[in-house]
Amino acid sequence: MPPPAPAEGALTPGDELSAESATESPAADEVIVLARGHLHPAILLLRLIDALRQVILPLILGLIQPWFLVAALALFVLQLTSAIVRYLTLEYTLTQDELRIREGLLHRQERRIPLDRIQDLGFESTILRRALGLVVILVETASGRGVEARLDSLSRADAEHLREILLAARPAATAKIARSDDPAGQGEPATAQLPPEPEVEWLVHRSTTRELLVRGATDMRMSAFAVTGYAAYELANQLGFIGQIAGIASTFRDWLASLPTVLLLAVLAGAMFLVVALGVITSTLGNLVQFHGFKIVLTGDVLQRRYGLLTTRQKTLPRARVQRVTIEQTWLRRLLGFAVVKADSAGGSRTDGQDTSAGWDVVVPLTKADTAHALLPALLPGIENTYFAWHHGSRKLVIRTAVQGCLLAGVAIAATWWRIEANALFALLIIPIWTVLGVLVWRNLGWASGEEFFALQHGIIGKTFACVPTKKVQAVVIRQGIVGQLLGLADLTVYVAGGSPTCIPDLTLRDARQLCCDLSQRAAIAAEQDW
Amino acid sequence: MTATCGHARRMTAPESPRPPQRLAARVVPYWIFGDGMTSIVLTGLAWFLGRPWLADNWDQWSPALDNVLLGLCLGSLSMALLIPPLNYARWRYGFVDDLLLMRYGILFVEERAVPVRRMQHVDLVRGPIERLFGLATLVVFTAGNEGSAFRVPGLPVDVARELRDRIVQMRGDGRL
Repeated sequence: MPPPAPAEGALTPGDELSAESATESPAADEVIVLARGHLHPAILLLRLIDALRQVILPLILGLIQPWFLVAALALFVLQLTSAIVRYLTLEYTLTQDELRIREGLLHRQERRIPLDRIQDLGFESTILRRALGLVVILVETASGRGVEARLDSLSRADAEHLREILLAARPAATAKIARSDDPAGQGEPATAQLPPEPEVEWLVHRSTTRELLVRGATDMRMSAFAVTGYAAYELANQLGFIGQIAGIASTFRDWLASLPTVLLLAVLAGAMFLVVALGVITSTLGNLVQFHGFKIVLTGDVLQRRYGLLTTRQKTLPRARVQRVTIEQTWLRRLLGFAVVKADSAGGSRTDGQDTSAGWDVVVPLTKADTAHALLPALLPGIENTYFAWHHGSRKLVIRTAVQGCLLAGVAIAATWWRIEANALFALLIIPIWTVLGVLVWRNLGWASGEEFFALQHGIIGKTFACVPTKKVQAVVIRQGIVGQLLGLADLTVYVAGGSPTCIPDLTLRDARQLCCDLSQRAAIAAEQDW
Repeated sequence: MTATCGHARRMTAPESPRPPQRLAARVVPYWIFGDGMTSIVLTGLAWFLGRPWLADNWDQWSPALDNVLLGLCLGSLSMALLIPPLNYARWRYGFVDDLLLMRYGILFVEERAVPVRRMQHVDLVRGPIERLFGLATLVVFTAGNEGSAFRVPGLPVDVARELRDRIVQMRGDGRL
């Protein structure tokens, strides 16, 4: 295997610029190339492993039918050639205003991404790549499509270097600072022409193992467990155990039927406990692996998250792109006083399920609730100077829920009377329950509108706090249902460019209109200033 | 029951702007014709094909069920005739400063406010039946994935074009 030296050498900016001026001297005075390079050669090894893995099945089939051996060989050669061609032709160039990625031999393609459109530059590394010292670079733009381009893979040093230059060049690309440096300059021409950036890294939060353990243990999703169970079932099925398992199950059922009731209940409870315990253990392990060593730092105006045990991820998030910050507490975490902090950014790929499961929107996996609130100024600068006057929703909310309870009870009684007659009157219990729920919802619902931020807090069992910068508001919608129209209540929904909308339920119509007017006018002013 | 949580500041605050414009009146026949066509066809199928078939093949068919079916058919027909005028009566839209406001809905009322400068692009959509009636739908998109499209249906074509041009103009020079 060739040593990775050439790729790294090609990336030092001094060499780069001289190479640039030598090869493309006519264009050199138009575009300054800050960095240029190829993929790391070790990617060929990874591709080889990939190709081998894909060939395994045809090879096994080849034992039965020799034609498959030919197919396997063809597939292998095809895979490898395409990998080599891709490796040889792919070249990325970072200029002052854009990132260019050129690839392809027959089907040539050059992608140009303007620097001020680049939302994030994320790093990802699987365990195999990490062993080889490689990272995958994910370029995200605000297009809403999530990952715009992938560079798979660069050496870690190259990747860090590229990110550094890119982040340094971005303000220049937006502000169009005149370039003054001569290409012959040694050292760091890329950063020399920029306003001096503070290189201080502020540690915003570092997750302790205890926090991650608690996060895993309080993760109420059973999906991890379900996946494990399904995997076990699949394995058993493929190994041909299912028949035996069915036999065991029938004898087990007979054995259960012979037990006395008390013992049966105990066995069932024990089984339930086992299931839950297994779920908790798997989700704890999953969380430990996913968020191992989670750290979020603030450099200049850019937040950076690093985490992961097997697949390491590094994700940058410019603070200016934060559209909404939420502090979420499920009931268990609320009891223990813990909270999760999430941030939606423009173009965040919510629709891409893979990204959310990888925890892209998580800013702090778990921390004490008051710490979470104390961290807000790091995510939303200026919030520390904002005074939030909290308002409740309208008290008519209680009437609305009571009316809805009455309607529900009426329907339930009407539907069941012909069968259970007077017993149907038990449905009347719905009314007080709904009313009490309404009171609880009203007590826990609050909203506040400051000059630059707008906040909402709700939840009777769990608790959610959401904060939206008013200058990020895209549109405001007021909705009134049937009962709402009768009582003069309205829901207000605030749309931002990324993530899901924020909805304040059950305001008085007057409040809702006032807030709608305020927010949309502030948004209009902010939009004007953006230009 | 008076207005609760009476914060003096918000009580005296000026009334928020209302959208001033109405849709073109011929949107009512368009809605009846366009949206009502489905229910007319379905009703016809149910009454003239479904009822005889059921009466022949289902031994529990009774005059009571016959009446129920009649009720359903008449109900859906009258809905197709009644909803468009009500909807038309409720629909308001218009520009106030540089906000595009809309207010519409019968059972569920929505009020929407979109700053013109937040709009990403503007579409004029004209379906075949819409063209027959000389109407157009203005669709406005803001950034974001969810709930980013805002529709104003039933505009006369020239009004819709004028609105579009106005949005383009308000957004700045040809940057749309």
